[in-house]
Amino acid sequence: MEEYAREPCPWRIVDDCGGAFTMGAIGGGIFQAVKGFRNSPSGMNHRLKGSMTAIKTRAPQLGGSFAVWGGLFSMIDCGLVKVRGKEDPWNSITSGAMTGAILAARNGPVAMVGSAAMGGILLALIEGAGILLTRFASSQFPTGPQFAEEPAPMPAPSYGGDFRQYQ
Amino acid sequence: MPVAVGPYGQQQPNCFDRVKMGFMMGFAVGMAAGAMFGTFSCLRVGMRGRELMGGVGKTMLQSGGTFGTFMSIGMGIRC
Repeated sequence: MEEYAREPCPWRIVDDCGGAFTMGAIGGGIFQAVKGFRNSPSGMNHRLKGSMTAIKTRAPQLGGSFAVWGGLFSMIDCGLVKVRGKEDPWNSITSGAMTGAILAARNGPVAMVGSAAMGGILLALIEGAGILLTRFASSQFPTGPQFAEEPAPMPAPSYGGDFRQYQ
Repeated sequence: MPVAVGPYGQQQPNCFDRVKMGFMMGFAVGMAAGAMFGTFSCLRVGMRGRELMGGVGKTMLQSGGTFGTFMSIGMGIRC
């Protein structure tokens, strides 16, 4: 249970980056397997081969883009923690929006605003869910808050990366 | 004080419970996000009325599923 509390700040970046990569690679593997299977010419052999190819080409890519999101996200998060001197949901929301903006920087200001709004909204939703879950969990079982707190900031990068990938 | 309530033992919910919890949370978040973004994108391509409902519902389910899967993986790799 100890590793479940969030890491202290500088190490959180590494943790999030690696976690996001793993998550993206596994999740991308699952989705790409299905996609490759369906997009191949008929015949079991072709389909299996096609899904293997899709996994090999796309899953690491997806993992990489998740990792970029996660790393940048927690870097900004840690920066905000240092600057503001406190840790609250606004940190994650702001850093989600900033991450979205920075990663879309090469597509021009309009794309930056759109992507920032998306990141901010997603993070706000996740934080809200985390808070609700914490409140619910703390009334249900004693150790609730500990593990309810963690998932909130982590998977956000994931979906952002995912969304951007298909855009 | 609550002493060992519910089906989850005292100390820590086990791995599967955590994955399930992650999936549920991801599904809820994904549904909400899908409702928002789905409405925008469906309005943009010009859906109205019943068609819009269907489009938004589909987007919601889709993004809920994606989100939930990723979230449960994220929970799974940490336990």
